[in-house]
Amino acid sequence: MLSEAEREVVLLSVRVAALAVGASLVPGTLVGFALARWRHPLRALLQGVVMLPLVLPPVVTGYLLLWALGRSRPLGRAWHALTGGHVAYTTAACVVAAAVVGFPLLVEAIRLSMLAVDRRLEQVSRSLGRGPADTFLRVTLPLALPGVLAGAVLSWARALGEFGATIVLAGNVAGETRTIPVAVYTLLNVRGGEEAVARLTAVSVALALAALLGSFWLSARQRRA
Amino acid sequence: MILEARVRHRFRGFALDVEVATDGPVLGIFGASGSGKTTLLHALAGLLRPHEARVAVRGRELCAAPGGRWVPPERRRLALVTQDPLLFPHLDVRGNLAYAPGAPERLAGEAGARVLEVLRLAPLLERGVANLSGGERQRVALGRALLADPALLLLDEPTSALDAELSRDVLGLLLVAKRELGVPMVFVTHRAAELLALADDCAVLESGRIAARGVPVEVLKRPRALGVASLVGVDNLLRLPVLAHDEAGGVTLLDLGRGVQLAAPLCAAPPGTRVDVGFYADEVLLCLEAPHGLSARNALACEVRALDRVGHELLAELAVGDASVRARLTPAAADELRLAPGTRGVAVVKTAAIHHLG
Repeated sequence: MLSEAEREVVLLSVRVAALAVGASLVPGTLVGFALARWRHPLRALLQGVVMLPLVLPPVVTGYLLLWALGRSRPLGRAWHALTGGHVAYTTAACVVAAAVVGFPLLVEAIRLSMLAVDRRLEQVSRSLGRGPADTFLRVTLPLALPGVLAGAVLSWARALGEFGATIVLAGNVAGETRTIPVAVYTLLNVRGGEEAVARLTAVSVALALAALLGSFWLSARQRRA
Repeated sequence: MILEARVRHRFRGFALDVEVATDGPVLGIFGASGSGKTTLLHALAGLLRPHEARVAVRGRELCAAPGGRWVPPERRRLALVTQDPLLFPHLDVRGNLAYAPGAPERLAGEAGARVLEVLRLAPLLERGVANLSGGERQRVALGRALLADPALLLLDEPTSALDAELSRDVLGLLLVAKRELGVPMVFVTHRAAELLALADDCAVLESGRIAARGVPVEVLKRPRALGVASLVGVDNLLRLPVLAHDEAGGVTLLDLGRGVQLAAPLCAAPPGTRVDVGFYADEVLLCLEAPHGLSARNALACEVRALDRVGHELLAELAVGDASVRARLTPAAADELRLAPGTRGVAVVKTAAIHHLG
């Protein structure tokens, strides 16, 4: 069984990943739709920027976030104005790191599921008197929904395992930023930590596998027109 | 004018340049695939932004390009029905019918009752769309478009994905919709028989330009338009005098000349007057000898005049009486029967396959 501290670590990880996905869902859906439907030379650039965290070393992503959210930067100042504090080394920093790193997976799943929606259905919807926003909400989104959810589950799993950007931006504060990977890393350096590492590893594998299976199941459920 | 349209658009090496004005109520656009029919409909519907265009429906300007007014598709009131019915797969039949703004109210009211009755949709209302037959799907698509209360219905080959029997059924429903609901339409087709049956006015489209224009029966008689017809392997269109009616037998006998009679379904035209009938080249069976014990009413002595290869098929032109009838067959069948110009045989046509037009 998990100790009290380990349970706290797991719950924090699950919560951080869920918040990260929750915050990404609406922008991710809009960006995924834009990438699936937009016919513009700048589309490739947008796609590149969105995909960047997938290929950048997570530590570099974390550093860039730390820089962008610094006190003298516009984003950091905006955060300060809103919350009265700083992002770095808080649970919010974990969420930001997890959201940014999970975003490409979310967007890519949504983009693919929206590409699979027959454009002619949208054209028919328009000709029947429904405008672009209405058509998106009534036709595109419902038909792509399994893919959107599959992407959400997948990016949740990715957020759960986020380490590199987290350790830079959020550090290692027990109860606040110590997620499963950070805890495992810490325990590896502690004499006698092997058993705890084994337990957290088992939880990690179980959660990740469950998320992957759920994501596969969801993406197979998209209806074809 | 119900529709005034001038559309110029080029893309991928294809140029559409069309100017047409009609009082309808049904304008038929006739042409082979690749002639630009669908592009023209999309330009009318606003799904494509033409480089140069002016479109007005019942005097309301929808588009003036370049630089002028642009009404987006959802505000044009031009409902589109395509070859593929494109029902929304996540909605049931009722959800599809009630899709357009205002459609739920219309569906519940008198207008909806008329549409349901004309298109025989009431029994389908609670069904999902996945297990509907092809004909049922197209009926739902048509009902969905009518319930959007369109100023003009745009029909893009609504029957061509259906087999012969179902496409006649849908065509019949379109005729009823035209008569009973009075909806003007632009009807794109490559089947001459459908054009004759439904359209009041017609434009023949050939490589993006209008090649002929006028009343369907007249236009289709012109060799130029018939060139288009034969391209797509259309049909037998005959204008024949009525000889007599056999009410008990359910047939009207038409005169093909030289004493050869065609038994068509019973009609009301008095003997001596001429009627237009049509049947598909697929419906003609060719035999070398007169068959016995045949249910088909027509076993007509014929002579092969010509054999034209169209893709993987052969179109045999047969002299029957004074008329010329086309039969579609495979090259293999022609080989086996050793068909050649001059071969004598018997053309078999079911009465039920013959349709009165107009």
